[in-house]
Amino acid sequence: MYGRTASQLLRELDIADSDNLQAFNSDTCDQVIAECENHHLMLQSLIRKLEGEQLDIQTARNEDHFGAVTHHLSLLRNKRCLMAYMYNRAEVIRSLRWKVGAKLPEEIQEKLSFSEKEYFKNHSAAIESSMSELDLDLTVDMVPPKDPYIQVRVLDDIGDNLSLGDHSFSLTKNSVHSVRRTDAEQYISQGLMEEFFA
Amino acid sequence: MAGQSDPHLPMFTAPEVEFLAEDEIVEIIPNVRMGALHMICGDFGPFLPQIAVKVPLWLAVAMKKRGKCAIRPPGWLSVDNLTQVLEAERESPREFQALPFHYVEISRLLFDHARDDIPDIYMVRSLIEDIKGVRFHKVETGLETISGRTHAVKLKNLSAMEVNIVRPFLVRTLQAFYKHDSPQIVQPQGSLNSKRPQAADRGPRRDLRPR
Amino acid sequence: MANYYNIDDILMEEEPITSIFQVRANGVGLLDPGSESNCVEAGAKVDLPLWLAHELHLRQAVAIGVPPCFSQRTRKEVQADAACVDLRSRCPYFYELGCKIFPLVGDKSIGPFLLYTFTSRYKEILSKSHSAPVSTSPKYLPRLTQEETQLFKAAQWSIASFRKWRVGGSRLEKASILGRKRKPAAAQLPPAG
Repeated sequence: MYGRTASQLLRELDIADSDNLQAFNSDTCDQVIAECENHHLMLQSLIRKLEGEQLDIQTARNEDHFGAVTHHLSLLRNKRCLMAYMYNRAEVIRSLRWKVGAKLPEEIQEKLSFSEKEYFKNHSAAIESSMSELDLDLTVDMVPPKDPYIQVRVLDDIGDNLSLGDHSFSLTKNSVHSVRRTDAEQYISQGLMEEFFA
Repeated sequence: MAGQSDPHLPMFTAPEVEFLAEDEIVEIIPNVRMGALHMICGDFGPFLPQIAVKVPLWLAVAMKKRGKCAIRPPGWLSVDNLTQVLEAERESPREFQALPFHYVEISRLLFDHARDDIPDIYMVRSLIEDIKGVRFHKVETGLETISGRTHAVKLKNLSAMEVNIVRPFLVRTLQAFYKHDSPQIVQPQGSLNSKRPQAADRGPRRDLRPR
Repeated sequence: MANYYNIDDILMEEEPITSIFQVRANGVGLLDPGSESNCVEAGAKVDLPLWLAHELHLRQAVAIGVPPCFSQRTRKEVQADAACVDLRSRCPYFYELGCKIFPLVGDKSIGPFLLYTFTSRYKEILSKSHSAPVSTSPKYLPRLTQEETQLFKAAQWSIASFRKWRVGGSRLEKASILGRKRKPAAAQLPPAG
């Protein structure tokens, strides 16, 4: 059926809720684009046939007209599905800057298409430049803060001698540190640290 | 920032509601001497040992955590008062008793950080739990009566956290009823393409869609 | 409200609608599996997705029938015990489709039927969504339509978020989009204190 393949893209988005991102489905996108080309060819040939019969394309209502209308509608439908697929993914990608940070982990990177990666980079840079103009990090304190310092446990070997704020820390697995909350937030959202309650 | 978790739902998270509650003023008894604090939200202090002073809840909790004060529990947070409130809640199945707008958040913050300042804390805590339970049950029974004819829902004395919990559900429900009970759908008049204005019956309703 | 990019709107329009062609259409043989040439004859009965059926209907090229989820049989079942009917298997976009289709087929009884169905099923969702334990996926959930599921999840989410706040503990968390690979390892260590 016309438009069926394109709707599969959106079913994919629908199943993965907003907390989940699937790999960019370039195979299906290519199939839909190929379908669009087919519709376009059919549309053109039907219109040419109408013209060949000296009929007014605006008013003619014969079997060729209804065939052409169907192909035209299918084109619009496929376009809407492709656009919605890109748009809804773009929404998730923009949110990554706020949820994960400027540097995306490999597991996310591999799910993005080339242009999505570029889009993320540019969007991230735009936020960055806006924040540096304001001289304010807008991405911290997404949850109302309590204390300026928190205790954290390191969940993975992050590195020796990493400077957080004014001090440098040796962030080895399972070590516990007292750090500035704003310094720890990005590590926590990336799953490299967790809040520790003594 | 509202609606962090789902951009399509107009709502606050519980920690965000708590953040708002932290601006409520409480009384503390400092045990240290300290000059006045000049904040964006106002000046507080000076702080003198054993002299009660009014500060926002967040400041009270921060000082309490550092052992610099005792918090004087608000008058409503007593066994006597809460017992009365609970009884009244149980006796009037349709009304909510007047409690501070942020009673859920304030009581939790005080239970967490100032347990030694609250007399009969176990009793107080269980009374608060019971009151919350009775009130929430009332909210649910109230929601059951919503129908297509509901023009507005009046929930006098409902507290911030209670409203916040039912908001996503309630907003969606009212939207659905609004949609399915709109005059065009329930009583289609004449031709379906008629351009007749159908405002007459819609009078008092408000569009509850998020902007 | 139709929105060009809305996933639910788009998927709803994918619902099949039984349509009878009033005209002949060339070059679209794919629509009719029974057709031998590359065209559809007038009088051919085919299932078209709503987006196509709707537009062709506006051009008087097809006549469309009432979808089976609004048949007399379904209505009787709903009247008998609304909460028990598995609407999702009949049409996940039951309400949305109903609103869209009734002006096309001219069946005025669909509107009141939608309202009746929603009103009778809503109470069940209300009581179950606010009281059910969050972790379990209740067995009636698969019976709900898309709209009802979202209603249920909205309630469940806000209750869960409230309970989590009341228990206290960590407020800063790993971004949920990163998956939960490390969670099991962390869960084995009992939280100190």
